[in-house]
Amino acid sequence: MKAIEKMMRKMEPDHHGKWAKFHPVWDGFFTFLFTPGETTKKGSHIRDGIDLKRTMFVVVMALIPCLLFGIYNTGHWHYVAVSGNFDLPYWDQIGDKIIYGALQVLPLVIVSYGVGLGVEFAFAIKNGHPIQEGFLVTGMLIPLIVPADVPLWMVAFATVFAVVLAKEVFGGTGMNVVNVALTARAFLFFSYPTMMSGDKVWMSGLSDVANSPEGFTGATPLGELATMATNEPIYSSIDAFSAKWSVWNSMMGYIPGSVGETSFIMIMLGAALLLYTGIASWKIIFSFFAGGLAIGYLLNATAVNGYMELDPVHHIMLGGFAFGAVFMATDPVTAAQTSTGKYIYGFLAGAMAIVIRVLNPAFPEGVMMAILLMNVLAPLIDHYVIQSNIKRRMKRLKTA
Amino acid sequence: MVDYINIALKGIFVENMIFAYFLGMCSYLAVSKTVKTATGLGAAVIFVLGVTVPLNWLLENYVLMEGALSWLGPEFETVDLGFLSFIMYIAVVAAFTQLVEMLVEKFMPALYGALGIFLPLIAVNCSILGGALFMQERQYSTVGEATVFAFSSGIGWFIAIIAIAAIREKIKYSHVPAPLKGLGITFIITGLMGIAFMSFSGISL
Repeated sequence: MKAIEKMMRKMEPDHHGKWAKFHPVWDGFFTFLFTPGETTKKGSHIRDGIDLKRTMFVVVMALIPCLLFGIYNTGHWHYVAVSGNFDLPYWDQIGDKIIYGALQVLPLVIVSYGVGLGVEFAFAIKNGHPIQEGFLVTGMLIPLIVPADVPLWMVAFATVFAVVLAKEVFGGTGMNVVNVALTARAFLFFSYPTMMSGDKVWMSGLSDVANSPEGFTGATPLGELATMATNEPIYSSIDAFSAKWSVWNSMMGYIPGSVGETSFIMIMLGAALLLYTGIASWKIIFSFFAGGLAIGYLLNATAVNGYMELDPVHHIMLGGFAFGAVFMATDPVTAAQTSTGKYIYGFLAGAMAIVIRVLNPAFPEGVMMAILLMNVLAPLIDHYVIQSNIKRRMKRLKTA
Repeated sequence: MVDYINIALKGIFVENMIFAYFLGMCSYLAVSKTVKTATGLGAAVIFVLGVTVPLNWLLENYVLMEGALSWLGPEFETVDLGFLSFIMYIAVVAAFTQLVEMLVEKFMPALYGALGIFLPLIAVNCSILGGALFMQERQYSTVGEATVFAFSSGIGWFIAIIAIAAIREKIKYSHVPAPLKGLGITFIITGLMGIAFMSFSGISL
């Protein structure tokens, strides 16, 4: 450790030297490896090892279970697609599945980090400010919310688009209005819909399989559910759906979908870490689930088609609902800042997610759009919460 | 009743004046610096839309449309004054804007100062004329439907402008690159908001 630190110290570019422009890059790597020992020269300072890098790293660690499970899940559905046997045992051929999954997923992670950090570094050098580490989380989130088959150049494109237009133009980390990872996903979704939706993309390698057995589709549970709201449902009743995709399977994550979103259990592991360290707001997570359940039961009560009859508990286990609630909606920058605002924000986002899923035939999955929508409305919620607080206190002041 | 609710939800969210049609952008971009003035302008737009569209509906259905004048007598049944609709609509809009301006000046002088030139400019706000033309194109069957449509479009515009005003208040102290300060970043925010509002596109009511 000491040797590395010494080496790094030696490499520090001189502030007036030839490499002065690249000081932010050095600084970024150095503070990534070592907690800087410097304290402010005068005035108060807080002695704490935690800084933005460490905070972000906790989130990345919380994402690791999802990533690992996602790798295995990608492998599993690849073998399902290749063999055409839907009932392939889940915990079998473990080595093969892990290797295939890793070969599919890890390049996504590498490209997302490489491109995103490249943009960050370029902006840091250009603006002469220290590297901002917000991308550590974004870079991990992007691969987890896309299908494993998405081409790498698309990921690179989307990452650049999102980092530049959703973050850097607002001044970088901590200033963005909408969630950067979700912007990347929305960019992919609207620009390359064939790679982001449909029946072919959710099982890795399925589009290369020449002729799958009859009746075999690669649709996600949500994709199949979406047909339940149309005139040509593929299931006669919602019970038939639940028989194929049980709650247990979606809780464990044995379903096709984006890389990291499938397993409720793994997401909850991450959530536990985030809540224990106090990084994610439990108010948002709680109200997000509450909103989803509330709308789910409301739709149950007023059901006019098969989709609306789906058990709300099943609803929140499917697709990206839990992932969005834990990792996306809780983004401390783009969420509502006020305490009351967080409840409203989370509740509306969860409710909108289910509403879009069930009522909007254009999107089988609504979590991404719901969170983006609430991101842009969050400042408004905050504004009114603050105004009402001011009013209440003014009243108290007057009566006192 | 269900029809009215559908028209209202459509006007506010699915066919939002700003994010689905990008109408009324000039004042949307220019008067969205603070939530307070944005609220004022948004309310004015709701009012003007809510009054002019039903008026224009009456005009359309009893004066301008082919056969609309048949209440005057059978010889008028073939008269089609449709070519006058633009000028008639805009005249109604302009007259009402004048009225709103006088009302605001009288009762809310502070807001009048803050809105400045943009209050009379509501007369040429594309979303107002757009509202009248959408009403004509979609052929709402009753004046009630036209009114609901008008108010909900206005509310959609209102939500859009106060939402962006809140965002602009939030990013007031962000380090936005100098060339993008002001209008530039507002355009980018509008685009991002447009993406977010695509959540509603495709919902058929």
